[in-house]
Amino acid sequence: MALVTGFDANASGRIASLAGAIAGSERVRTTVITVLSVVSLVALWQFGSMALPSSVLPGPVRVVSALVANVLQGDIFTDIAITLGRIAAAFAIAMAVALVLGFSMALSRTAGIFFQVWIICGITIPALVTILTLYMVVGLNDTAAVLGAAAPVIPVLAINIREGVKGIDTRLIGMARAFRAGRRQQIVSVMAPQVAPMLLASTRFGIGLVWKMVLFVELLGRGSGVGYKIEFFYQMFNMTEVLAYALSFVFVMLFIEVAILGTIERRIFRWKRN
Amino acid sequence: MTYPFRPPAPVQAAMSQISLTDIHKQFPGRGGAGGWKALDGVSFDIATGEIVGLLGPSGCGKSTLLNIVAGLDDTYEGTVAIQGKPLAEQIGQGFRVAYVFQEARLMPWRTLRENIEFVLQAADFPRTEWAGRIDRVLGLVELAKFADFFPLQLSGGMQQRASIARAFAIEPDILLMDEPFSALDELTARRLRQSLLTIWSAFRTTILFVSHNAFESTFLGDRVLVMSPGPGGRIREEISLRHIKRPRDYEDTALFVESKRVVESLQRHMGNRPEHH
Repeated sequence: MALVTGFDANASGRIASLAGAIAGSERVRTTVITVLSVVSLVALWQFGSMALPSSVLPGPVRVVSALVANVLQGDIFTDIAITLGRIAAAFAIAMAVALVLGFSMALSRTAGIFFQVWIICGITIPALVTILTLYMVVGLNDTAAVLGAAAPVIPVLAINIREGVKGIDTRLIGMARAFRAGRRQQIVSVMAPQVAPMLLASTRFGIGLVWKMVLFVELLGRGSGVGYKIEFFYQMFNMTEVLAYALSFVFVMLFIEVAILGTIERRIFRWKRN
Repeated sequence: MTYPFRPPAPVQAAMSQISLTDIHKQFPGRGGAGGWKALDGVSFDIATGEIVGLLGPSGCGKSTLLNIVAGLDDTYEGTVAIQGKPLAEQIGQGFRVAYVFQEARLMPWRTLRENIEFVLQAADFPRTEWAGRIDRVLGLVELAKFADFFPLQLSGGMQQRASIARAFAIEPDILLMDEPFSALDELTARRLRQSLLTIWSAFRTTILFVSHNAFESTFLGDRVLVMSPGPGGRIREEISLRHIKRPRDYEDTALFVESKRVVESLQRHMGNRPEHH
């Protein structure tokens, strides 16, 4: 009986190496375009700074040397650490609440209808109002700051998670049930791997939003952190330091995004490659 | 083979492994109204090692019957007995059911090997047996080289072959198949039917399958049960195909003669009722 697949081991090896070569040249291409993208962005900044007075828009060289001076001097790390701590706390709160909301809305019709109104209100209320209200209610302290940074992110994150959970392939759960997989095996082996990519995407999205909110709450009502420093130097008309602090945090966030989340993503999506 | 496989069960037409008696199934209607009578008094037996096809138009309750035999649906009237004992009792006692769906339903983030490991784990096979079982079943469907490939790296036909291998890996007491080849092009489907019979001849597993393809049912089955269209699906005719010799060959004239008979029966029992979906 001939069930020839037309695919012997040699051929599959050749195809694999060919695919490797294609992936290799694709990587070079991606790198080149990325480098060009960064260079053109810095060039735009440079041209802008040449057109405007340096007190309004200092150029990249000036800002980077200010940043280097700050790093050598060391105080900037305290502010970065404080801001990172607030981001971590606010993100943890936002994610925990959004997970509960998102999962319950996806799995229960009642919860879906009930929280729908909350979510719409949450999205509609401007973050500024939420933050100011929390500062008034809770007081001008770190608790209010962290809650204020978390609250505006929760509704958007919850919607993301709800859609992700709704996207679970129920046919695979049907398969697991037909083969009599236990509840535990169903959750660990069938549900969790389907939820993981969505959780990662939500984490990315959530951290990106929370970090902007944290700067905002620091600017509005805190005496420490990167957001406070940016506001402080702005009041002093020192745009070089404003941009140096902003740039320092761009680097920190890039590191988290590329080095940490990117690595996790490549692991999770191993099966999607080729 | 060095690992403990059960010897193939001898074909014993006399002994019925599974018997369904007077199965009725009513789906509740929305808002308490009437509902849908899916099955209206279905009775039949399946012998050990037999391949039985349920043939009928869509909406005749074929898949509902499969779910009942799989133990996934227990809201029905009538009895399902496994070697004389109620199905519900047997399922906890190591009675193993495997399923081949219309789609392969492999987990895309697991390799073929890992997909089969999933069902071996679910069926409580000791870990030491896994590799041997996986190699054997993948070899039987000619996918041995692809054990460590991810499903999305393979064609639809190869994925479905892997899902057949997965089903046989746990050596089920009964294998249920719900339109297993209807999503494939005819050429691929033909090769897969051959592949299925090859792996079946190594295990002699009892198979109950559902199809709306008369030729397919004739090619695979020892018997075909022709069902009337829903609502109230029931078995109208039983056609024995045991005289068509195995291993079966697509060129066998007996196959064409019999499949014509099956088509005629199907047409006779379709009646003039509009098709339901």
